[in-house]
Amino acid sequence: MAESITVTTPGLTSIQDLGRLRGSRFGQMTGGASDQYSADVANALVGSHRTAPLLEIVALDFGAVVSVDLLVAVTGAPAEVQVGGVTRPQWEPFVWTAGEELTVRGIHDGLRVYLAVHGSIAAPSLLGSCAPDSVLGFGRQLTVGESVAIDVDGPPIDHPYFRVPLFRLGAEPASFTGHWTIDVTDGPDVHEFGATAARLYDTPFVIGDNTNHIGLRLTPADPGSDVPRRDRSTEVLSRGVPIGAVEVPAGNEILVLHRGRGVTAGYPVLAVVTATALSRLGQARPGQEVRFRKVSVPEAVDGYRSQRRSIALLRSRVANAFASLRIPTHTDTTSTQHHSVPQMESA
Amino acid sequence: MSGVTSIRPHREFVLADCGDSAVRLTSLSPDAEERWQAVHAVAAALDARGDDVAVTGIIPTYDSLLVEFDCAATTHDAIRALVERLIELPAQPSTRGSRQFEIPVVYGGEFGPDLDDVAAHLALSPSEVIRLHSARPLTMRCFGSPGGAPMLDGPAFPRPVPRRTIPRPHVPAGAVAVAGRQAVISARPAPGGWPVIGRTPLTIVDPATEPLSDFRPGDTFLFVPITAAEWSTYEGVRHG
Repeated sequence: MAESITVTTPGLTSIQDLGRLRGSRFGQMTGGASDQYSADVANALVGSHRTAPLLEIVALDFGAVVSVDLLVAVTGAPAEVQVGGVTRPQWEPFVWTAGEELTVRGIHDGLRVYLAVHGSIAAPSLLGSCAPDSVLGFGRQLTVGESVAIDVDGPPIDHPYFRVPLFRLGAEPASFTGHWTIDVTDGPDVHEFGATAARLYDTPFVIGDNTNHIGLRLTPADPGSDVPRRDRSTEVLSRGVPIGAVEVPAGNEILVLHRGRGVTAGYPVLAVVTATALSRLGQARPGQEVRFRKVSVPEAVDGYRSQRRSIALLRSRVANAFASLRIPTHTDTTSTQHHSVPQMESA
Repeated sequence: MSGVTSIRPHREFVLADCGDSAVRLTSLSPDAEERWQAVHAVAAALDARGDDVAVTGIIPTYDSLLVEFDCAATTHDAIRALVERLIELPAQPSTRGSRQFEIPVVYGGEFGPDLDDVAAHLALSPSEVIRLHSARPLTMRCFGSPGGAPMLDGPAFPRPVPRRTIPRPHVPAGAVAVAGRQAVISARPAPGGWPVIGRTPLTIVDPATEPLSDFRPGDTFLFVPITAAEWSTYEGVRHG
């Protein structure tokens, strides 16, 4: 029988994955989970492939009922996660019991929560990804009463008497407290900004309201501060811009391009946000104050590899735990997007 | 420039890091056509290699190529060495010749709200701007955003066209715009900062089909002025 998740409170929720690779050659945005780390960990915790579709719940409360006992994991921003009114942990897998409502309420500090399932979520694919693309009109937000088909191939295992966490797999939760420091490397056009480039690091910035998965707009926390300025006005031919590009258009704001960015632009790229900091920025709320910190490219690569290594270790713990309980894992995918297991040699 | 430039100009280039997961190749050849051919030849060669080099994205444009990769699966040094090796290969002849497309356009008015501004900036009459824009075929250099817009060499205007001071929040699909020395046809509705001088009723990108677009870099586009009354004749037609 076809199993499904039926939405009771949709909030702002979509079916998401890690993004659409190789579409950029044809002018298509990459998209995908704005907090790639939390999405990756969510799928790792349930033994699903890292590019498997999962739910991205943004800012607002979410609720749904499932037709079959289902092993799930919820990561991302802190929130109150309950099944049938009983609180369940984030960053550890747990069983979502058939017929009971799972709710995610009061998302705070960050913006996005990820819900991954053990099994697979059916989702239409475009160029090898289910990631919504608002420009193409592909993918959509879930609506109340909507049923999302799921395929479950192994019974989940729960504590027979108590709703205590069965697993303690030790995923490293993303941090949402303290100062938000955003690491960036020098961009390819940093020389066009002369000494004003330093303003990126000297000035605290505030995330603007007009911020989304396409990009973030930031203004100096002190309105009297000036942003970096390009010291030339020559025409720039359109060229590919990396995700994370820090651009400085006219006016007193800076732009950070995120995963929904258009692939070409004519602005010089002052700096590029690191892959790990991009996940953090994917959780930034309007009004949040951030500071930029310059790191070298090798430091940025080390940081990302360290993050991926911790997820790989988590995956091996999950595989061992699941194997001992005879729960199947899904480390491969039929998706046309192939993500090889990263080589974890040192840089 | 070194003496090599005159013999193998397309092999003069700059390779710059773009953060922890991308590098940008820019050709320095003095010839625009050669710059374009050089970066697109490398893009095609990378494309043919598939996933084995952990490349996750390839964005060739007019004179540059952004190569995105998974930095956990490869290194900057490996990607740089690969790109440098590929640019030394002889350019592969294209698998098919370029094609020419005729693109009907309603210029001015609600279809091209910035036509008069562009004309004023160029010190030309609006009809002269239309004449120059449709005088000869323009070459598509790459796909741009949003949605896979064909980006073309600009028409032979006397000077570059500035971008709008305030970008439009909504530019419809099919909008025909110019900026700098470039021209574009909007693929999908989106915000945009390029002055819009007209609009085509043709469907440029169709998310329901693969490939999404019939056009390829190297194709040429001849813009053909039509009247607003002729719009419905072409509306929604997919070209190619």
